[in-house]
Amino acid sequence: MNTIQTQDSLTGRERENLLRKLKQAQHDFGYVSKDMMTETAQSLGLSIGEVYGITTFYSFLSVRPLGKFVIRICKSIPCYMQNAEMIIACVADEIGIKPGETTGDGKFSFELTNCIGACDIAPAMLINHQVYGQLTPGKIAEILRGCE
Amino acid sequence: MGKITATINGTEAHVDEGTTILEAARTVGIEIPTLCHSPDLIPTGNCRVCVVEVEGTRTLVGSCHTPIANGMVIHTRSPRVLTARKATVELLMAGHTGECVTDEHTSECDLRKLADELEGGAPRFLMRKPRWYPIEAFNPYVRRDMSQCVLCRKCISACREIAKKNVYGIAYRGFAAKVIVDFDDPLTTEICRDCGICIDYCPTGALSKPTKKSEVK
Repeated sequence: MNTIQTQDSLTGRERENLLRKLKQAQHDFGYVSKDMMTETAQSLGLSIGEVYGITTFYSFLSVRPLGKFVIRICKSIPCYMQNAEMIIACVADEIGIKPGETTGDGKFSFELTNCIGACDIAPAMLINHQVYGQLTPGKIAEILRGCE
Repeated sequence: MGKITATINGTEAHVDEGTTILEAARTVGIEIPTLCHSPDLIPTGNCRVCVVEVEGTRTLVGSCHTPIANGMVIHTRSPRVLTARKATVELLMAGHTGECVTDEHTSECDLRKLADELEGGAPRFLMRKPRWYPIEAFNPYVRRDMSQCVLCRKCISACREIAKKNVYGIAYRGFAAKVIVDFDDPLTTEICRDCGICIDYCPTGALSKPTKKSEVK
């Protein structure tokens, strides 16, 4: 018996394993596929709707494949008050896609997220796991040029 | 089971342990308005319409899901309660893009009735972008108009607890939150058959019985 199976049988079919499974899938495949959600729902005895609901609730779980660079701009109040809307429009302009989309070449995905804990340097964004703060249109152009 | 004695609006109520504040109030003839509550369903405390003031607690509590405790002093119509309740219903109405002012479902919209009872007056809160979804009318048993939905989650509970089907879930977040089926799929007859139980529990016109072709004039 391998370790994963042992761990699974130890934790059983409990509902609280749902998020752990989804995070694992996100980590392993870059997104949570419909097959993965269906399988998870069946193994935990939950409805597909419930699993889909949890997956779409969290900004860091994705139900579609993402690009090489995932840009996440904070849409919470502190960033909003520091003009995050302008920053969102600026990024959309630079890479030519709207939030929720991925560029045709698979380079960029553009997402909006809830607070990322960078309120002190609002407006802020993440590119993959790197935080960028005090954003201005000029800074954004420079940061995006650096994404290779 | 122990007995509980508490004071509601100055009246003493004697009820069994485990009784909710809402149920206890009803035993002494005090009515608390509700929206997402139903005696048949497990309380979820989603809509916040039934909030009451319990002396000594920092926040208002949902009466439909809070068990009453010995010695509680509860106010169901204090200025704080009325202000919060009115604002809650106004906010629910702001997110409710149904046409219940003019259309035929008026009599079926509990939220509209509640708003009328509380005399909200002119709307204070306006949505910049109303939630809008296309009407789903192809299922012969349930017609869904999710633009009218106020996310009370009664349909989810009714489907899970009474119909034992668990067809509905809630997906997305914040303003985008929506009652969904599977992967936000259409409610086909493969998933949902003929029970229609959720329709009886929907407080708005979001879920309704489809008009039969033969009934269309």
